Amino acid sequence: MAKSAIYTLLVCMLMAASAYAAFYVAPTEVTMGLVQRIFYLHAPSGMTSLAAFLVSFVGSVLYLLTRKPKWDWLAVSSAEVGVAFCTVVLLTGPIWAKPAWGVWWAWDARLTSTLVLWLLYVAFLILRTMIEDADRRAAVSAFFGVFAFLDVPLVYGSIWWWRTQHPQPVVFTSAALDPTMRKVFYLSWLSLTCLMALLIRQRYELEAAREQLRVLEHELEAR
Amino acid sequence: MKFFSDTAALLQKEIQAEFRSHELLTTASIFILIVIVLFSFTFDPTSAESKQFGPGLLWLAFLFSASLMLQPSFLKERTNDTLSALRLAVGDPFAIFLAKLCANTIFLLVTQLLLLLVFAVFFNVNVLSIYPKLALVFFLGSFGVSTTGTALSAVSSQARMREVLLPILMLPLLVPVLIPSAEATRALFEPEHALRWDWLGILIAFDVVFLTALWLFGEYLLEE
Amino acid sequence: MKNLNSVFAAYLIGWAVFFGFSLTVAKRAASLKEELAQLKERLKDSAR
Repeated sequence: MAKSAIYTLLVCMLMAASAYAAFYVAPTEVTMGLVQRIFYLHAPSGMTSLAAFLVSFVGSVLYLLTRKPKWDWLAVSSAEVGVAFCTVVLLTGPIWAKPAWGVWWAWDARLTSTLVLWLLYVAFLILRTMIEDADRRAAVSAFFGVFAFLDVPLVYGSIWWWRTQHPQPVVFTSAALDPTMRKVFYLSWLSLTCLMALLIRQRYELEAAREQLRVLEHELEAR
Repeated sequence: MKFFSDTAALLQKEIQAEFRSHELLTTASIFILIVIVLFSFTFDPTSAESKQFGPGLLWLAFLFSASLMLQPSFLKERTNDTLSALRLAVGDPFAIFLAKLCANTIFLLVTQLLLLLVFAVFFNVNVLSIYPKLALVFFLGSFGVSTTGTALSAVSSQARMREVLLPILMLPLLVPVLIPSAEATRALFEPEHALRWDWLGILIAFDVVFLTALWLFGEYLLEE
Repeated sequence: MKNLNSVFAAYLIGWAVFFGFSLTVAKRAASLKEELAQLKERLKDSAR
């Protein structure tokens, strides 16, 4: 109990520190000015969502191979957290784009891929709500989870190549990061990864508790 | 080997069933036709623009049609629980998937090649000279659509709201098929009639990855 | 300075998503804990 409280505190401190660094420590970028600072939240969120989806993929595969429910709990928890981080990418993108390039949305490769990724994993979550039986739900959604993650490199690859063929001037990263910027970026990335682990564990424990409830309800019915 | 004879037998069954009823091919073709006609109201289908927008619209029509057409693939096995009978009849459950996805690829390809001619007439595009190259692009695309669609038909048939669930699952997954297929088709419509192996490469990669994934994990979908 | 407002907005919205997610999960966990406690009581009662 105390350990998890300490970890939560650590995550909060890291998040506060990375926000401070993004606002005050990082130097102002030359071409885009102040608004570029959104990058320190936007880009690592994208990378963290991918990490969460990777964890979900591992959970799906391990569930199919071992049939232990805990892997299904991990798969759904990390998928939900991944969607949350993806949502942050999709919300901070337009907030960055409007002041920087005058448009709310640009079909830039990374943002477009993130949008498709978001749709894919929202579909995964919708699928889960459409199957009542817990075991069937776990097996069927694990299968789709495998398909979804295998699609990720293909989505990124095909959209990136499509943008290369039809280029446009909107670019969501600084071309070369100066050393201070790089340190702020890594701090942000670290804090978001720790947050991801915290949220996954919190969601996982909820899933484990639901299973406990189900078992007890069965026991009660049996009497 | 028993696996190949099982697959061949099931494939024959699927094709014969379709030949008898013609349901799938007819409805799919009419649906694609309707979508093409409706799309043509949304922009001026003069020759120059059709070469730009046409391929994308064509492939969108194909994808929408497939997401409806592939639904019965596993759904029909739920009546009278013929799926259990199939599982008992074959040695490797992958034979069921392989037979269905081959049949679906053939059905998709036939409707697409047919509607390509209608598209050529409506939008004033000469397709006869590039028909073989187009057939290759359509085959690679259809194989990808069919592999994922057949697998997802098995997924959605076990869920509620399956009619709208299948497109929700399929369409985002098929973005890496839509983009290369539309781009490769567009490149063929251009005067150089170039076959774009960069795009076809992505299609081939998609087909290989998902066929393998279905081979490895498909049996978990067929359990009770 | 106007652009700094955008940065504030972005961070606010981002943190709102994370906090909102955590809060929703925590609420469901709390109500589940209550249900579990009630069930355990009922099981103890029926065991007698």
